[in-house]
Amino acid sequence: MEVKIEARSLTKNFGTFRAVDALSFDVKAGEVFGLLGPNGAGKTTTLRMLSGLLTPSGGEAFIAGHSMEKQQQQARSSLGFLTGDMDLYRRLNPVELLTYFGQLYEVPKATLSARVDKLVDAFGITDFKDRFCEKLSTGQKQRVSIARTLVHDPAVVILDEPTTGLDIMASEFILQFIKKMAQEEGKTVIFSTHHLDEVERLCDRIAIIHQGKLEHYGTISEVKQRTQKENLADAFFQLVN
Amino acid sequence: MRTKIISAIFRKEIKEVLRDKRMLYLIILLPFFLYPVLFTLIGKVGQSQQEKLSTQSIEVLVSPELKGTAVEEALAQSSELKLNFTDFEEATIDTMSNGIGIKLDVPFDQTMQNNGTASIQILADQSKDLLQFRSRQIRTVLQGVNQNLLKARIDGAGLNPEFAKPLNITQVDLASDQEQAGKALASFLPMIILLFIFVGCIYIAIDITAGEKERKTLQTIFTAPIKVSEIIAGKFAAVFTVGIVSAFMNILSLMVAIMIQVKFMGGEVGSFSISIDPMGWFWLCLIIFLITVFLAALTLAVVLLANSYKEAQSYVSPLMMLIIIPAVMSQMPGMELNTSTALIPMLNISLAIGAILKGGFSTAMIAMVAGMALLYAVIALFFASQTFGNENVVTGEKIDFKSLFSFRKS
Ligand SMILES: Nc1ncnc2c1ncn2[C@@H]1O[C@H](COP(=O)(O)OP(=O)(O)OP(=O)(O)O)[C@@H](O)[C@H]1O
Ligand SMILES: [Mg+2]
Repeated sequence: MEVKIEARSLTKNFGTFRAVDALSFDVKAGEVFGLLGPNGAGKTTTLRMLSGLLTPSGGEAFIAGHSMEKQQQQARSSLGFLTGDMDLYRRLNPVELLTYFGQLYEVPKATLSARVDKLVDAFGITDFKDRFCEKLSTGQKQRVSIARTLVHDPAVVILDEPTTGLDIMASEFILQFIKKMAQEEGKTVIFSTHHLDEVERLCDRIAIIHQGKLEHYGTISEVKQRTQKENLADAFFQLVN
Repeated sequence: MRTKIISAIFRKEIKEVLRDKRMLYLIILLPFFLYPVLFTLIGKVGQSQQEKLSTQSIEVLVSPELKGTAVEEALAQSSELKLNFTDFEEATIDTMSNGIGIKLDVPFDQTMQNNGTASIQILADQSKDLLQFRSRQIRTVLQGVNQNLLKARIDGAGLNPEFAKPLNITQVDLASDQEQAGKALASFLPMIILLFIFVGCIYIAIDITAGEKERKTLQTIFTAPIKVSEIIAGKFAAVFTVGIVSAFMNILSLMVAIMIQVKFMGGEVGSFSISIDPMGWFWLCLIIFLITVFLAALTLAVVLLANSYKEAQSYVSPLMMLIIIPAVMSQMPGMELNTSTALIPMLNISLAIGAILKGGFSTAMIAMVAGMALLYAVIALFFASQTFGNENVVTGEKIDFKSLFSFRKS
């Protein structure tokens, strides 16, 4: 299987504090990969480096085979990225917002509106597609945000805690969508979360990081085996305590 | 740089601005109503003040010797002056709240018969508008009496009227009244224009930089395959557009206000004559264009360093001083555009705009200021691109000022 996301000893220092310490892992085409870790472990920092928002202090990130440093344009074109500290433009409605990002990603004019319509439909945005984003509820905003990461049909999608703050139905909707995206469209997804059940349902392989270091990298069954625990939560506790 | 991307960013910013009612109010409605309302109010207040003064009567204490003289006859013509012939002291006038005294030092009739000089003092508290107004009126009346008495004396002596007037001195101001009004306006206008360009730029610049950071939207476009320079260009174009529209709205509003003013105050259109020839228009537009480029780039670069509205506003206040102080200085008497003032940032811009509005400017000097404005614009644009390219600026982390000035690789 082709490697779509690669972290090659990624390191990030904030002053003298090392938030991420030489992380290496890769994610293959069509895979849903889970990034786990307690608060402050360095998940968001790692994902930001992968997406090119932060320049690594050391190491390199590759998206769809392109170096985020040396082939930034190609790497970014292949990537859709969402973190919790991103919001939507207040005074644009979802359709305008999606269209705007389509233009930024140079989606051809001829296909852009069809693409936007499709996303509006797929994410159940139709009912509020004419409402300004500032008026939307948290769950509605999250749907638009994820649709935004997909407007240019990227091969790789990085989602930082996509279900935080959502009710069970909204979370379920998004999880199903992630699963479908990987299975039907062959997209590569990496997502971080604090909900271990989500990981168990969606992912084959995971990475658990703690204080910036990789504690585990492999399948869920491997981590259970290694820690001699029945469920992922117990294994997780053992690794990060 | 791809123009399609830049134009997409520009259009999005403008779309959001047009949907912001506060912004529209500040940029379009406020200037549009500000001047007409202000001018009309000032005009009306001034007018009614004048009317009020001219109807209010006052008591005038007059030395009894003046009773039955030409002076009484002349003063009695004005019904607002209530004459009271009585002996009085200076202190009496002081204690009256609304009184003026006319004091004679020698017997009047006798002095006149001897062709002598009678001294007349007008005692009034000049700090009161009404008393100042009335004492001027009395003075004018008395001067009329003086002229008549003089004429009678000259006639009586069989002399020509020219006898008492060896020299006839008049002062001719080469500037017409209209030109003077225009000049007053011309020294005041540059400050207003600059200020409003600046306010417009600040408002939108904060909104689309620090405001976007505060609302957590700025990061989203930084994951798109677009260059920092394209984002700056798009945002800069939006800030610049608002600045120019702001300048235009203010000039337009001012013109409308002047027309209204002229109509209501009874003057014909053209009482304010600002005549600008085609070259003047060219330079005026060029300088306003360049200075808007400068102010747009400067505000953009500075407010980008902030992570919130509040912080941005605290950065902008000192900048505001940078614009206001030179603009106010440019209105001081004797300030004009010359080789030294042309080198002082912002003062030169105010003076140059003023000089163009006044007419008769030196092209070399104006061209020099335009060159300076271009230089400021380039520096500010460079600074803006440096700030924007800084990773910490974008992600809203603390900014290391040293790194802003180190050249980036890409
Ligand atoms: N810009 C920054 N400057 C200094 N320290 C930072 C910065 N960004 C993150 N950190 C620190 O780096 C560490 C990792 O932060 P990060 O946001 O990556 O954690 P996380 O795993 O995403 O946590 P959470 O689950 O709470 O989201 C934290 O200790 C954080 O305080
Ligand atoms: Mg995080």
